[in-house]
Amino acid sequence: MNEAEAIRLAQRGDAGAFERIYRLHNRRVYALCLRMVGNPAEAEDLAQDAFLQLFRKIATFRGESAFSTWLHRMTVNVVLMKLRKKKLPETSLEETIDPEDESSAPRRELGGPDLLLTGSIDRVHLERAVEQLPPGYRQIFLLHDVQGFEHNEIAKLMDCSIGNSKSQLHKARMRLRELLQETLRDLARQERHEAKAGEAN
Amino acid sequence: MQCEQFEQILEEQDGGALPDPAIMHVEACEPCRALLADFGAIRDVALELGAEGIAPPERVWISVRNQLEAEGLIRELTRGLTHDPQAAPPSTGAGWWTVFQRPAVAGAFLGLVLAASVTVGYWSNSPQTAMQPQLAAQQETSPVPSADSVFKEEILTVGSDSIVGLQRQDTAVSDSIRRNLGIVDNFIQVCEKSVREEPDNPMAREYLYGAYQQKAELLATAMNRSIPGGLQ
Repeated sequence: MNEAEAIRLAQRGDAGAFERIYRLHNRRVYALCLRMVGNPAEAEDLAQDAFLQLFRKIATFRGESAFSTWLHRMTVNVVLMKLRKKKLPETSLEETIDPEDESSAPRRELGGPDLLLTGSIDRVHLERAVEQLPPGYRQIFLLHDVQGFEHNEIAKLMDCSIGNSKSQLHKARMRLRELLQETLRDLARQERHEAKAGEAN
Repeated sequence: MQCEQFEQILEEQDGGALPDPAIMHVEACEPCRALLADFGAIRDVALELGAEGIAPPERVWISVRNQLEAEGLIRELTRGLTHDPQAAPPSTGAGWWTVFQRPAVAGAFLGLVLAASVTVGYWSNSPQTAMQPQLAAQQETSPVPSADSVFKEEILTVGSDSIVGLQRQDTAVSDSIRRNLGIVDNFIQVCEKSVREEPDNPMAREYLYGAYQQKAELLATAMNRSIPGGLQ
């Protein structure tokens, strides 16, 4: 059963088709929820809500956009709605950057050749760095660079201006760069330490 | 062009083509070239992140399926009903109204919904329930009027003639409807329990009312489809 057939059958309430659609998309939906909220239990609830909403509305899907895009938007909406309900600072797009607080402010690092990230970072490094981003930065970065939403779409989803979305993304990347460079420095330091220890032995 | 200006352009362009002055600047400025390269590296790895997925625990699907079943949104179409696409109307949308094509079925359905409303309304409007929590506690031990009994009574008074005359024409449809009735009955039990525990919770009453409506719809469908065992 391909996706189009599964969608058609699911629109008639077919149980097998619902499961097929779930199996096709559950990993990406769950991954998106998990990355956005950073909590597995909460991500499970959100993935569940997203699929429930999808299946309740599947009869209205007319194929005007790709099904995966439709599902993605729905998932993002579910997550954002949840974050708004929680009324936690993580719903705020405007990350408060305290100029006195060097740890939170993205700052320009003049990277020498040894700090270039190209070819030096992998998914694990990036994932760890993303987890350390302030929530507002993280959401915009995940939506744009990881999930591929455009700024105009993000602006609609997050109820902000396109300029705001661009600005937050830029700051998020700057902060990520800084975090990744720190990681590379740590790794280099560790290697030197191990090399010294090896020489001593 | 200064580095700050270049950064500003980078922010505004975001992946788009850089204007000539910015290109000239980046060719001459090593830190800005490094910044541009690093942004590219981050974006490349981020794309990989987007492509990969993490499987959720199986319980997520089990919960989704249970909920869909409880809401009456899914059925085993491919196993028993594919030979008859019109066999059971969708739970939402235009198909829902096909049950009203027969006046007797429509009458039965309305009777069931009214009975459900009266039952739920009785619980929600009861002054004893609202004003005397201790009586509400007593209700936990006293039996709540069974949804089945309400519906059976209604069916007997409104649609008994139709049911008696029904024949076993399609066992697949019959099995499917019985199975769904079982699911809705379970859901009704859960809702009844919630209403007993939280008599003042409007959400619990709303869910119970929704469950009654689902059962009414199923029973109406069963009558419409000539299923004699709809109430068994």
